[in-house]
Amino acid sequence: MSEEDILRKITERFGERVLEAKILGRRRISILVSPDAYKDAVKYVAHDLELEFLSCLSGVDRGDSLEVVAHLGFSTQVLIKTRIPKDNPVIDSITDVLPAANLYEREAHDLLGIVFRGHPNLRRVFLPEDWPKGIYPLRKDYAPEHPKPLRGGESG
Amino acid sequence: MGLVEKFVRKCRARSPWILLFDTGACNACDIEIAACLTPRYDVERFGVLARGSPRHADILIVTGPVTRQARDRLIRIYEQMPEPKYVVAAGTCATSGGVYWGCYNTYPSLDSVIPVHAYVSGCPVKPEAILKAISILVEKIERGEV
Amino acid sequence: MSFEIPIGPQHPIHVEPLMLRLSVEGELIVDVDVDVSYIHRGIEKALEVRPYIQGLYLVERICGICNAAHSLCYCLNVEQLLGKEAPPRAKYLRIVVEELSRIHSHLLWLGHYFHTLGFETLFMYFWRDRERVMDMLELITGNRVTTAYNTIGGVRRDLTPEVEQKLRRTLDYIEERMRYYEKVIDSEPTILARTQGVGILKPSDAVRLGVVGPHLRASGIKHDVRLDDPYSGHDEIPFNVITWDTCDCYARVKVRIKEVHECVNMIRYALDHMPSGDYRLKIPPFFKAPPGESLSRVEAPRGELVHYSISDGSDRPYRYRVRTPTLANLLSVVEMLKSRDGYEVYIADVPAILGGIDPCICCSARVVVADEARRRRTVMTLDDIIRISRDRGVERR
Repeated sequence: MSEEDILRKITERFGERVLEAKILGRRRISILVSPDAYKDAVKYVAHDLELEFLSCLSGVDRGDSLEVVAHLGFSTQVLIKTRIPKDNPVIDSITDVLPAANLYEREAHDLLGIVFRGHPNLRRVFLPEDWPKGIYPLRKDYAPEHPKPLRGGESG
Repeated sequence: MGLVEKFVRKCRARSPWILLFDTGACNACDIEIAACLTPRYDVERFGVLARGSPRHADILIVTGPVTRQARDRLIRIYEQMPEPKYVVAAGTCATSGGVYWGCYNTYPSLDSVIPVHAYVSGCPVKPEAILKAISILVEKIERGEV
Repeated sequence: MSFEIPIGPQHPIHVEPLMLRLSVEGELIVDVDVDVSYIHRGIEKALEVRPYIQGLYLVERICGICNAAHSLCYCLNVEQLLGKEAPPRAKYLRIVVEELSRIHSHLLWLGHYFHTLGFETLFMYFWRDRERVMDMLELITGNRVTTAYNTIGGVRRDLTPEVEQKLRRTLDYIEERMRYYEKVIDSEPTILARTQGVGILKPSDAVRLGVVGPHLRASGIKHDVRLDDPYSGHDEIPFNVITWDTCDCYARVKVRIKEVHECVNMIRYALDHMPSGDYRLKIPPFFKAPPGESLSRVEAPRGELVHYSISDGSDRPYRYRVRTPTLANLLSVVEMLKSRDGYEVYIADVPAILGGIDPCICCSARVVVADEARRRRTVMTLDDIIRISRDRGVERR
């Protein structure tokens, strides 16, 4: 299936819920959907279009919203994106559709604060246990500085 | 007493056992140090053996910028080693933070966490540099300078 | 009754901290959890504050063993953002260094894996042969590890005819040695007993769990980024994608040994058909990339490596996302270590199975065995676990 075919099928299937659809280059397609269509879009691309391989799931801080990007496909990569508001970053988890998303969603939760509804085990995976809650390093408002020890009084 | 002490120092210097510890490095220094154990560089001819337990080790070789999570383990391992113990900071990351200077999860250098006796620069360290560092450290141990 | 064993062993020659928490009943493992926080350095955030050319050197140090793959992926990514492509000679030179780096990584893994299984001699042999490959890398690029060969727009050095001669001789040597090792592995009953039937991962599970690389190919799935999504002239170079059907640790060993042969053939083809011309585009070191996004994928020695970046028109990335192959493979360790009906996994199998995915993560804590029944905690080192695994493994089979 060529990139144009895939794009056409998705836009036909989801109609108005597709906010933006473009071809980024050879074998790269980007689709931005509304949050309620995110899981259905992933299911459709994985099962109906048979691109069942999840290669990555990224989180991006877009300023006033957080974006979740799911990368699907062995050969042609379809990027399914959705944006959720920063003050209430809740989105459906796709681990029941694609179990591979387990660790990636935990990472997005840990570093960006996105909450995945329905994830079996949404806990810390990268940050240390004593990292303060509510501080998300990959958000734009976090300015990196030398880490000071959170316990003990020695200088870092 | 002086003669006994000299004899003990000489014995200590003849077979320093090392412990390798990685505090969040990219692995390049670790595989170069591991290459020292292999036939081409063969660090065993200096009497050096790589042990798995801190209680058997004389020299602790640390690679990597100290990440927050690894810091406590590093200090615990250092405390478990019996005296006299020496620490070698291998690689630019252990010496001064390296490329990770300024990252939110790493400390600026190893000597802000535990005392260090030798610094080996390089990104990654060359196996020859590790061999030279060990032999210089061992000579200093024998002369009683550390 | 089950209790938890955290395994984050520290090993004399091993790499990277990883904490695995096993829930066991007796000696059977029933549940697993992973904790990779020791190695988290905050690189994605650091890349957002560095200009593209500085980011290249940071990205290379995400992993020292696969540094050529990371720097290649980064260069492809930025070149896509700029809308440029490396010249043909640079593409072939990139392939030469990439495949050499794959050979060195596979030899490293093979040596290390057999060390975990108890064969010190094979470990020494593999690493001795690997030194020849490191010499070649040093001659071509200037450094053994963290080669810094790829740059945005091409490669940094050219290949001279003298170096090419030496490279060809090294390739002949490596090929002959790999044939010898394959014979040894296939005829040694203890190796076969400890790897065949251990760590089964069914093909459907492998795809579902997002497994990549030789680990995926050892479960029979024919997927390789060089074939499905060619990136640096790979569509011009003929090669075979090696798969194996038995889905166990033996398959993982076989796939990697045969892949070394394929790498040798690819390098020979690239040397025979090397295009002439420039090896580097003239791009100023500090530049502003046009707004947009780009996704680059590379077949690193451990699997598919993904770099995804978003540019907002400035001289540094707005967001740079790196997904390393081991993160993708880690979930399958959880699956392979759980006992099910008809498939039992013991603590003694942990090093063989964990090693089978070629983890690019280090071990630095100790093992604490918590015995709930007797309310006692004992501390073990990885040496002890490996010794248990070697003794029990030999007894069991």
